[in-house]
Amino acid sequence: MQAIDDYISNVRYLPPAPRVVPDLIKLLNQPDVDSSRVVKIISLDPSLTANVLRVCNSAYFGAALPTSDLQEAVTRLGFQQVYLLVTAATGAKLLATPQKGLGMDPGELWKHSVAAAVSAQLIAKKLGDDFNLVFTAALLHDIGKVILAQAAEDTYFRIFREAETRQISIIESEAKLLGMNHAEVGGRLLSRWKFPPNIVAAVTHHHAPKGAGRHERLASFVYLGNMIAYFMGHGFGHIAFAMRGREEALTILGLPPESIPQYMMETFEQMHMIEALFSMVAEPAAPK
Amino acid sequence: MLSLDSLTGTDLVLVGMADLAVIREQPVTLCTSPLGACLAVAIFDPVRKIAGVLNSMLPEASIDPKRAGERPGMFLDSGLTALVDRAVELGALPERLEIFVAGGARILDETSYFNIGNRNFGVLESWMKARGLVLVAADVGGLSNRSLQLNGMTGQVRLKISGQPKLKILCKP
Repeated sequence: MQAIDDYISNVRYLPPAPRVVPDLIKLLNQPDVDSSRVVKIISLDPSLTANVLRVCNSAYFGAALPTSDLQEAVTRLGFQQVYLLVTAATGAKLLATPQKGLGMDPGELWKHSVAAAVSAQLIAKKLGDDFNLVFTAALLHDIGKVILAQAAEDTYFRIFREAETRQISIIESEAKLLGMNHAEVGGRLLSRWKFPPNIVAAVTHHHAPKGAGRHERLASFVYLGNMIAYFMGHGFGHIAFAMRGREEALTILGLPPESIPQYMMETFEQMHMIEALFSMVAEPAAPK
Repeated sequence: MLSLDSLTGTDLVLVGMADLAVIREQPVTLCTSPLGACLAVAIFDPVRKIAGVLNSMLPEASIDPKRAGERPGMFLDSGLTALVDRAVELGALPERLEIFVAGGARILDETSYFNIGNRNFGVLESWMKARGLVLVAADVGGLSNRSLQLNGMTGQVRLKISGQPKLKILCKP
């Protein structure tokens, strides 16, 4: 843990802690959410508010008349939809930055994350789980890559080569050469940012969901969302498929193997939503 | 339509996932979105300059016949039939078709349920065998994500492999 903390502390441009999402998560399970409270929390971040309003007015989320007022957007779309947009806008700020070391073009990690989140959310909705939590965990599952891509930029070339030569996963190769993997780093970062323990566990174990203990269900949704995003071409970088097949994710959720193609088709049909969220790319944060 | 192909100066036309396109004597490059575990098939009749690309997601229409009816390109078998039928309508001869295939990336565990790419290639092979067609070149499996491009006039097939700056030319044997 100390080693991971040291790593995070040494990153030159650590993204600012996204305070709004952990605060909104606390409201998720409340039966009647007071919309003025939601507006108050979101308004603390003006650039986030602007981005939410922009997408709220887009063709997909399309209000009939464009609105420039957050209170009105919350009333029109409802808390659930606004929560999704706020989480997406936050994710865009964190993930839509260039990751040179990973062999990805700018925006590719963001696209992958959105596809994983939409796919995982779809499965959770079908199974009657808390799809907002699933969306959040799946959207942020690769946040550790943002840190490692900076802190270990020069090592990634060796990480990929090691994985390819030995036919091991990227996770295993990272652990071997860095002493930690991107899932652990991501989980630790989210914990420092005061995200709840279930999201932290799901992100930490998104490549091996059983390890998440009592949060294995949430981790399994993230695992499947991540896989489906890769299968459908929303996953980039060198040797993107250097991953392990974890059948346990299906067992934990009680899903048959045939459900994978089924959810691929359904994810495909959500493409208009995925594309609306793609467009939510915020201006990268200025270096401190 | 999309952007300009810097190498040949032709327009790039996107063939999205679960879709197919066939053109005749068009100076454009048909290109797929990144394929992941999905499989793209390119066909080319060099005499009539008929070019077609299928960007299929899943192996067999029997997975979901209703969806296959609405969108044949979603599945490899129904997509191949639609692709070749459309090329023949435009004047192509099936036996003259040059056929290329790319995609179907695989995760590390070969036998895993999560390897849908394996089944895709099996379906393609038996489909072609049943019709006496031969594959000219293939770039399938492996750990990398890639997309395919087919030049509508020359029939040249190129691949953009994720994480690699240069396009790979899928050569004829």
